[in-house]
Amino acid sequence: MAVLEIDGLPFHVQRLSPADGRPPAATLVLVHGLLTDSLASFYFTMAPALAAAGAEVFMYDQRGHGRSGRPHTGYRLERFVADLAALLDHSFPAGPVHLVGNSFGGTVAFGLAEQRPDRVASILAIESEPASPAWAAKLDGILRRAETELVRTSTLAWVAAERGAHTARLARSAGRLLAVTSLARDIPASLLPGEERLAAIACPVLAVYGTESDLVEQAAWLDGLLPRCRSAFVSGQEHSVLVEAPDAVLELTFDWLREQGVVLRGAAACDLQRSAR
Amino acid sequence: MTGTAQTMDRQPPGEQEVLAEITRMLAAVLDEYGLDESEVTMDSRFTDDLELESIDLVTLAAQLQERWGERINFAEFLAGMELDEIIGLTVGRLVEYVVARLRPEAAERS
Repeated sequence: MAVLEIDGLPFHVQRLSPADGRPPAATLVLVHGLLTDSLASFYFTMAPALAAAGAEVFMYDQRGHGRSGRPHTGYRLERFVADLAALLDHSFPAGPVHLVGNSFGGTVAFGLAEQRPDRVASILAIESEPASPAWAAKLDGILRRAETELVRTSTLAWVAAERGAHTARLARSAGRLLAVTSLARDIPASLLPGEERLAAIACPVLAVYGTESDLVEQAAWLDGLLPRCRSAFVSGQEHSVLVEAPDAVLELTFDWLREQGVVLRGAAACDLQRSAR
Repeated sequence: MTGTAQTMDRQPPGEQEVLAEITRMLAAVLDEYGLDESEVTMDSRFTDDLELESIDLVTLAAQLQERWGERINFAEFLAGMELDEIIGLTVGRLVEYVVARLRPEAAERS
């Protein structure tokens, strides 16, 4: 298992290099979401296809998640952003990278773009939003509820019945994370960038939503706030669009990268020729 | 590909050998929860029976590659599957994949 230590905290990282062994067409850094998420959500969905298309793909488990270290405290958004900055400085010291963020991972990506614009070539934000007072209030509600519910056997049994054993297992892990750390209290207490700081995020942004998700309502607001942001929608999907509709998200990602001038290779290059005809 | 020549010198491993090795890897992956190695059969499902989380499968993928090289690409193997299929995946299907990929003719193709 590949581990990078940042300020004494071990981070589980996974790197997939271009499948054809040639120099990468682009560097993509994939950032997962909170609680039940880990780099596995990318590793088993879009990551191999991106490497096959010639990208250098870098994934990591965020603090407290997956196989990375789990300190008791230190879970404000700014810590997650600092982790990403440090991992990039270590692994890709030169130049900007393309960020793909799922849910809270997108919030971290927006945070990095706000603080270190030189490091971010573009952001693909899946079911995500930048930090704001409304975001902090919403997360506070979700985390408080999760903290009490996810340790109850009755809740976990309900999740198992409704969503299957694997989701129930992830929920139980999330309950453990909340029980042994200050995450639920730290996230809502994060430093929030003002709207004017967000409006200064100049890199291109594609915001992807499931049409059935609550977040759809914010799409127009975000498109208007950020200078170079537009939205794409995956029909019939909710918040878990990345793992529920991986092919649709991958196609959007390929199109997005081409739009950023990335020359994809392998099967993804053939798609381009087809669509050009 | 480097390493191919030396692995081709000897007989590629059969199902029993691969199953035994994967069982050892699973025991290492599930270290903190403990695993009764006799529980692992070709029919064991990774999530329902062995209680692996998706992140455990990532760790397993890395171990598979460490042991047998780049021909064993677990992520790519799973990327072609639906989520339900991944969740229902059995040890046996992985064993069959590994055995097939380690056959000399598979090595020549890759």
